[in-house]
Amino acid sequence: MTDTPIRTMGGFADARDHRHEALTSRTYGRALLAEARADPRIVCLGADLSQPTETFLFRDELPDRFFMMGIQEANMVGAAAGMARCGDVAFAHSFCVFITRRVYDQVAMQVAYPRLPVKLAGFIPGLTTPLGVSHQATDDIALMRALPHMTVIEPSGPEQVAAVVRAAVDHPGPVYLRMQVASARPDETTPLKPFEIGRGQVLREGEDVALLACGMMVEAALSAADRLADRGLSVTVANMASLKPYDTDLAVSLARRHRIVVTAENHSVIGGLGSMTAEALMLAGAAPRFGMVGVQDVFAEGATTDYLAEHYGLTPHHIVQKVLSLHAL
Amino acid sequence: MRHNRYSLAELTERATVLRRQVVRMVARLKIGYLQQGLGAADLFAALYFSELDLSETDPTWAERDRFILSTAHNTAIFYATLAERGLIPPSALDAYTLDGSPYEVNASERVGPLVEATCGSLGQGLSVAVGMALSLRRRGSRARVYVVLGDGELQEGQVWEAALSAGGFGLDNLCMIIDRNFMQVEGHTDKVVAMDPIGPKFEAFGWAATEIDGNDMAAIVTALDTARSTAGKPFLIVARTLAGAGVDFLEGRLSHLARITPEDADRALARLEGAAP
Repeated sequence: MTDTPIRTMGGFADARDHRHEALTSRTYGRALLAEARADPRIVCLGADLSQPTETFLFRDELPDRFFMMGIQEANMVGAAAGMARCGDVAFAHSFCVFITRRVYDQVAMQVAYPRLPVKLAGFIPGLTTPLGVSHQATDDIALMRALPHMTVIEPSGPEQVAAVVRAAVDHPGPVYLRMQVASARPDETTPLKPFEIGRGQVLREGEDVALLACGMMVEAALSAADRLADRGLSVTVANMASLKPYDTDLAVSLARRHRIVVTAENHSVIGGLGSMTAEALMLAGAAPRFGMVGVQDVFAEGATTDYLAEHYGLTPHHIVQKVLSLHAL
Repeated sequence: MRHNRYSLAELTERATVLRRQVVRMVARLKIGYLQQGLGAADLFAALYFSELDLSETDPTWAERDRFILSTAHNTAIFYATLAERGLIPPSALDAYTLDGSPYEVNASERVGPLVEATCGSLGQGLSVAVGMALSLRRRGSRARVYVVLGDGELQEGQVWEAALSAGGFGLDNLCMIIDRNFMQVEGHTDKVVAMDPIGPKFEAFGWAATEIDGNDMAAIVTALDTARSTAGKPFLIVARTLAGAGVDFLEGRLSHLARITPEDADRALARLEGAAP
């Protein structure tokens, strides 16, 4: 895949409600709709959140394949599994925390165990919501990757969403998509980013430090790389959007070529990108100086994302400080 | 006509044959889901020999009726029924619960497509059935979806989510049978959580419901006929079943996991031989 202007992604469906226009580019909603127009197997299930999951676009254009289940995520996951068993490719939507932790047993037994084509599409990952601890998914990567047969993907941002949705449709089994909306990006000139299950992408090549990041922390890592360059450190940045299967080969090869490796994730450092990278490096016998940037072993609270990122250690500054502390060892 | 191929007497005879198998299968293990299996034998005979449209040659036939055993532990009667119907080989029953066998205590889809969903984690079967019913309806399929739920299982909240959505969607291709045997691990269901009246609860959720003697073959077949001809609503059959039905000295014993000695198994089989026409 090559970088393509985002305007080529498909039609702009006429939304019944334009309130979110200023908040989100509806990248996911348009990408899913484009796939569904071409693939009659695709059905869309919602749990009361058509606007914030951008699925109102699907609802308005393909109502016979749209199922509003109401505020009942457990039943939605079971119903999605039932549809998948009848030949549908079922996309089920909610916030990250409710499509994973709240329905963990339903996902394990009705989706993961039977390897069904159910795609769990979650929004507002980690600390990207002011709604507080009830809505903040900081353990969802850990939970989902512990399930056999599950694929876990977190795109770096809207520029990678179309490719991620395509990959989820093409993958025959269950997928968890961890996505962020409510972003001003991308505008129509933003180049689209490719994605392949099981593959990370090196975005920037350096020699001293490797930053492995996912989701919104990819941008933070690129910013941190600039600041570290000012201090004379040459930094590689990789987008590890495929969290399971993880790109172990890339992680290990970067660890062998850099003295310092730091992971950065909008998630707990327990069980997420940092953990999976540490596991991969230890098993391969690679031993760089290693650090993990992410939410520590704490619950957060409701506040702006900027405040929470600062308070819980998810800014470029925190990545820089982690690298410098390892550099000084 | 696919339904009512057998007379009531023939279906009752099938149920007796299934009961004998249940006793043999559990007796070999000395402990198991004996009481539930004997209690539900008439329901399984009616479903698999009268109601469900299945293909012996192609278990994945797209137009088959779907059957989900949400009470996935009630496997002695389930496997006995599949074998009697010719859907699995008779030798499968000898492998019941053996290490490495796909015929596990809790039915899993290792058995193959005849297990339409791996339940056992209670409360999930009806949701899967709702998804199947929605998908089949959207495709214009004539296939129907059946799910057997336990009465104790009604204590799970997800059942009521699914009940609400089945009623809301008006899924008249969905039929649920609650095996009302009053048994759960803790003891009598109503002493754990009082649940009556069950039918009216579902009616309030948009279902049609009937309550029957789940060991009366005529009542079962009539209820399934009514379910099939009911338009616009999912249908609930609350089937009161007698634990240990068909073996006088086991009847009414509320034992979730019953032990049975070889001597009692012989006595039970003798009773069931006597019951056969």
